[in-house]
Amino acid sequence: MTALAQWKCARCDVPLELKKTEFEYMERSFSHAVPTCPKCGDVFIPPELAEGKMAEVEEQLEDK
Amino acid sequence: MKLEEALAFTERCFNGEPASCTYACPFHLDIRAFLEKCEKGRWKQAFKTLRNAVVFPTVVAELCDMPCAGSCQRAQIGDEPIDLLALERAVLRLTSDRRGENYALPPKDGKIAVVGAGIAGLSCALNLAMKKFEVTVFESADAWGGSLRAHPKFAEFDEDFRLQFTHEKVDFRYGTTVTTLDELADYDAIYVATGDGGVDFGLSDSWDAELFTTVNPRVFMGGGVAAQGLMAAIATGRDAARMLEVYLQTGKAAATYGGYDKRNCSRYVQHPNAVSEPRVAAPEGGYGDAEARREAARCLKCDCDACLTSCEMLAKFRKNPQKIATQVYTDTAAAPPYSAHTLTREAYSCSDCGYCKSICPEGIDMGALLRSSRVARAKSGDVPAALHDFWLREMAFNTSEASYFSAGIGQETCQTVFFPGCQLGAMQPEHVLQSYGYLWKNLKSGIFLGCCGAPAYWAGREDLLGENLTAIRAAWQTMGQPRFILACATCARMFAELLPEIETVSLYEILADDESLQPQRVFDAAAMFDPCAARDRDDMREAVRKLAERAQIAVEEMPEKGRCCGYGGHIRVANPELYETETLNRAEMSELPYIVYCANCRDVFASRGKSAAHILDAVFGLEVTDTPCIGDKRQNSVKVKSEIMSMLEELPFEPQVQPWDEITLEIDPETAERIDRKLIGADDMREAIFSAEHGGARFYDAESGLYQCSLVKAVLTYWVRYNPLGDNRFEVVDAFYHRMKFAKG
Repeated sequence: MTALAQWKCARCDVPLELKKTEFEYMERSFSHAVPTCPKCGDVFIPPELAEGKMAEVEEQLEDK
Repeated sequence: MKLEEALAFTERCFNGEPASCTYACPFHLDIRAFLEKCEKGRWKQAFKTLRNAVVFPTVVAELCDMPCAGSCQRAQIGDEPIDLLALERAVLRLTSDRRGENYALPPKDGKIAVVGAGIAGLSCALNLAMKKFEVTVFESADAWGGSLRAHPKFAEFDEDFRLQFTHEKVDFRYGTTVTTLDELADYDAIYVATGDGGVDFGLSDSWDAELFTTVNPRVFMGGGVAAQGLMAAIATGRDAARMLEVYLQTGKAAATYGGYDKRNCSRYVQHPNAVSEPRVAAPEGGYGDAEARREAARCLKCDCDACLTSCEMLAKFRKNPQKIATQVYTDTAAAPPYSAHTLTREAYSCSDCGYCKSICPEGIDMGALLRSSRVARAKSGDVPAALHDFWLREMAFNTSEASYFSAGIGQETCQTVFFPGCQLGAMQPEHVLQSYGYLWKNLKSGIFLGCCGAPAYWAGREDLLGENLTAIRAAWQTMGQPRFILACATCARMFAELLPEIETVSLYEILADDESLQPQRVFDAAAMFDPCAARDRDDMREAVRKLAERAQIAVEEMPEKGRCCGYGGHIRVANPELYETETLNRAEMSELPYIVYCANCRDVFASRGKSAAHILDAVFGLEVTDTPCIGDKRQNSVKVKSEIMSMLEELPFEPQVQPWDEITLEIDPETAERIDRKLIGADDMREAIFSAEHGGARFYDAESGLYQCSLVKAVLTYWVRYNPLGDNRFEVVDAFYHRMKFAKG
């Protein structure tokens, strides 16, 4: 997550913070801490997360 | 879906069934398993398999007339059958402990009298004793063996009886003649095995050869007294013991689960690649360890696995067809999150190419079975929509904005209409434009840009499929029911299956019939890669070969016909690994460049760096491009529509304009290919950047100077990482997506 520390919300111009966020897929929901703008609440998903852990979980849920 | 409906797809499959030799064996010995153990030199285990089936192994190894030999498939290649008796004898020699197994079971209620201690009575008595019933054998002679006592090898048989009875308690009453069954009133059941010519107590006329019962419900019968031969007598002793147990437990003899109900196997596994091997000669005294193992290794292990070994998908998931059928059914009853599906990945990994059906001796189509699973899933609504979203969106575009039909300039109706399919023009606009130019000039054909519905068909979306078929029928009616000229084999398959009322012909047949056409020699020599959907379309296949021949291309045939390039079934998102394997395997089928006549095949091979020319490149003298079609296929489709409309002197076509169309994306080729592999379209990237640049959410990394933004669509959420270059130009450095939705924090 070190590289993530550099990302800022461009609209609010503030650094992102890890925040628990609700995710939903295949009618199941769960929460996970992801970089979020503390001001406007916009969620930032880095490619490593989308194509790593998230893809893994997506596949598991699809197979259920 | 009912279970029977799912099982009906595979009911003729005989994978996993006993081999034909086992059907022939009176004991239904699993000869394949027995020989596998022999081959590995596992003599003790081989002995157990033999003993458990044949009861008295020494007797059987000596006296069986080996009906299995007549069913041995070695005969297919002119070899002598496996010498099973020699192997059984070898197993007996190579096993030190030839006793029956000692099962520690509690005693069972039930007193059974066996009349006769010949081979039939002994077999039944032993099997009953193994089940721990109280067994008494009445024999008028002074010892066991019956008619076998006269055999020169009786000493060995005698020893066999002794060994098999080692662990069992049986009360033998020799020198006791039973004259009437009333004498046995104390027993719960009786087995009459008095031998050939023995007393039958007036019951043999009522003997039931299936249940071994007689008119007296308490009395069962088998062996010589029921006119059975020696081997049948032993086998019946074993089976009658099972029947007696059912009778004692339920009061009625009845066929039970575990019986052998398939008695007439007429299906034989073919062994096209088997190598002839003569029977191993037996030295004096019979096979030793090495010879026995070699002879056993000659077994062809007959079991049909044609589909399981040739289809990469079936090989990967390692489930046999019947199991898949059962799971297709059970999946329809799955109710997540309370119960899970068992077949999702397999169902969406099938290319539906029909290769399994083409090589199956029974013509079983696993593609149709798995498609029915996709249909059931789509109907239930519990479907991983992401797996087919890309193609369904493509179909929506190709049946709306990119769609167009006309009977031709100044024509209300037409005799023929060109239906190029959605991908031909999207990949290479000239293929459609040149073909239609030719067809208009020569046949005054109409044109119909649209989609046959394959994406909906493969997604299991019968609703979308039906809507599209209705639209095609309506256009066909409007144009005066013309004959459709098809350029895509998948379209041809869909029309034949779903629109049988519409007459069709392939573009290649029309082109091949025109002797004045002189196709160009795009390669000196090439291998012909027929699309899977053309497997049963001989006319189309021949026409393409004719065109290649006229182009003076030396055409080599592929070793396997109609393999799918990997595109079929739209499996790429569901199973990227399998897609990679399939595309690589197909690209390596021949070292020569390929001639193809499917736009998807061409694109797949180009993406693997395999040189491939579409036959239309040769026909119209187009440059063969070795690169995959990366980027905006939609722009190509719109270009085709626009040029065709101007060719038909229609009012200029004005494509829908989106505010993000002004954006120019700059992507280095390597990144472009990487993004294309993820099936992310340029349009979505432009839309994402546009909204970020116009007040939407975006993120900034000061160190790299890069921005990142997202675009949430119905099924997927796309992300683009980019570098603004000014002047509405953006360099894309990465794009990706995820399927989950998240709530704003």
